[in-house]
Amino acid sequence: MKRIAMAIGLAFIVSHGASAQTSEQLVKGATDTSNVLNYGMGYNLNRFSTLNQINKDTVKNLVPVWNYSFADDRSEESQPLVYQGVIYVTTHSATMAIDAKTGKQIWKTKVEYPPETPRIVCCGIINRGAALFDGKVFRTTLDANVIALDAKTGKELWRQKAADIKEGYSMTVAPLVADGVVLTGISGAEFGTRGFIDGWDPATGKHLWRTHTIPSPDEPGGDTWKGDTWKLGGGSTWITGSYDPELNTVYWGIGNPGPFNSAVRPGDNLYTCAVLALDPKTGKIKWHYQFSPNNPFDYDSVAEMVLADMNVEGKPTKVLMDANRNGFFYVLDRTNGKLLTANPYVKVNWATGIDLKTGKPIETDVTKDAREGKKVTVFPSILGGKNWEPMSFNPQTGIAYANTLAFGGHYKTEPVTYKAGEWYLGMDLTDLWEWGDGPRGHLKAIDPLTGKTKWEAPSDIPRFSGVLSTAGGVVFSGQLTGEFEAFDADSGKKLWQFQTGSGIEGQPVTWQQDGVQYVAVASGYGGVYSLFSGDERLAKVPPGGSLWVFALKQ
Amino acid sequence: MLREVSGKTAAIFAAVAVLAIVSMVTVRAADEQNDLSVQAQIDHGKATYARNCSHCHGPNMVNSGAITPDLRAFPDDQTRFVFTVKQGKSNRMPPWGDILSDDEITDLWAYISSRRRP
Repeated sequence: MKRIAMAIGLAFIVSHGASAQTSEQLVKGATDTSNVLNYGMGYNLNRFSTLNQINKDTVKNLVPVWNYSFADDRSEESQPLVYQGVIYVTTHSATMAIDAKTGKQIWKTKVEYPPETPRIVCCGIINRGAALFDGKVFRTTLDANVIALDAKTGKELWRQKAADIKEGYSMTVAPLVADGVVLTGISGAEFGTRGFIDGWDPATGKHLWRTHTIPSPDEPGGDTWKGDTWKLGGGSTWITGSYDPELNTVYWGIGNPGPFNSAVRPGDNLYTCAVLALDPKTGKIKWHYQFSPNNPFDYDSVAEMVLADMNVEGKPTKVLMDANRNGFFYVLDRTNGKLLTANPYVKVNWATGIDLKTGKPIETDVTKDAREGKKVTVFPSILGGKNWEPMSFNPQTGIAYANTLAFGGHYKTEPVTYKAGEWYLGMDLTDLWEWGDGPRGHLKAIDPLTGKTKWEAPSDIPRFSGVLSTAGGVVFSGQLTGEFEAFDADSGKKLWQFQTGSGIEGQPVTWQQDGVQYVAVASGYGGVYSLFSGDERLAKVPPGGSLWVFALKQ
Repeated sequence: MLREVSGKTAAIFAAVAVLAIVSMVTVRAADEQNDLSVQAQIDHGKATYARNCSHCHGPNMVNSGAITPDLRAFPDDQTRFVFTVKQGKSNRMPPWGDILSDDEITDLWAYISSRRRP
């Protein structure tokens, strides 16, 4: 009897061990080539793989292995995760587990939300992916719920409502599991919300902590807001943070202030357009660095905070990199938040530079005039020098690869009044763009320490795809017109492309299984550029979401 | 006689002419007032559109039409428009009946009609 019980116990441990992702596995995610366990392909968000079966010479033989329909025609910005031969991927309306070799669906669990929800979603009906831990799949929903599913069956295990859509809150972020805590962010800074980051117990869903990104008057930084403006101050957190397990610190980018009209909210408006260094167990803020104080131009800083160890002026340094929406490429010391370098990587006219002593931008008359209510032409536009789409960093060469934007915008404030569940911007939306001639975007190879471009691959309609780079010397990206592309990492020469049938706003990943290197990317567009640009060339690009998986022809 | 007749005729012509001018002026004034109220509706509709519709249907209603409907191509069917705005459609278009008043939806229709492509 005892023996049987032991055998059952052992069997349970073995099967449980085989299906459950541990903290240790998540920590090693960046070098685990047989799985894709983290958003960003590693806690450092490098989106780099040491795999080299697909390389500069062989990539021409890349062919599709299978295609899986999402049965959805919204924007597909989700990053697939891969664990033990199973792909976990999300849309706004479902979570799916798919056999990585065959493309056959293992399970699909629908996500439902009230039909009113899209009213308060600013920039596309999307979800950016899941997190895996301890046999569970964690995700957020458009109506601001955090849910945990059984990775084996897709059955919902727990659900927590983080905020109310009636007040303008929504969720698109892929969760982060760090130090045994599920961390999630929030969207809604365009609707008069007050942003935050939450910590949840992965086992039970118990709410552990909430750190507001807009301090109340009695908290540190509360004096950077006047009167009650902090209550509607914005500061979304809709892109997954990075995590340094050694320092046990999470780095999370914070979004734009609300409303855009900065005259309404005098002060620096902490922690908008900033990065927060947090303790994942408690949510306590260790340090902060603000990129754009009192920003009028929607230069939110939610996008990925990439971690690396590099030599800065001859000293090995633990850095944090950010190709900020404001047009400057920042490198910070992530142990203390000190600014090391900041250089423009696109055309910038709102500031002449960043003061390395104070860390503050040296603003031009463009910014001053905009704050005073004059109409200005500003570079970058409100979509930024780079929008949300994540860059890749190759730690072997020290080069970052990012999809950048090459146009400016027109900006003029308007009076604004708050009404729950409606836009709270205070900006003229009828005349937004200064396109100029020439390409509207470039995939750029950027030196993080100088901001200088090593090569660039232009695109008439700008790319809004995530970027992946590999030790095979290949950089993967995608076009809004549907082409999934591979470039030579050293020269920028296009080596291969494949038409996926709809525009690409997804996040490519790669892994190796049974000796074969695979690359996966979601296709299907409908994000911020397609909604806001008025680019009528996209009329010829059909929507329609699906997941593509590629490998070399046998 | 001839002169008398022609004098009378001239007087009648003059009276008719004056009446005509007066009525033309009246009509024009009414038209202007009408134009003004239509323009006010369009302006109000434009503001409501910017606040609630532009993040899906495009700022200034400029949109490729591939992802969300290009409202410049919406049929001249006010009943369908009002119904769709109030009730939503196909789990894509959210319902707005609890946020937008009938007047606001009527003004939105005026704005959309003003932007209709020929």
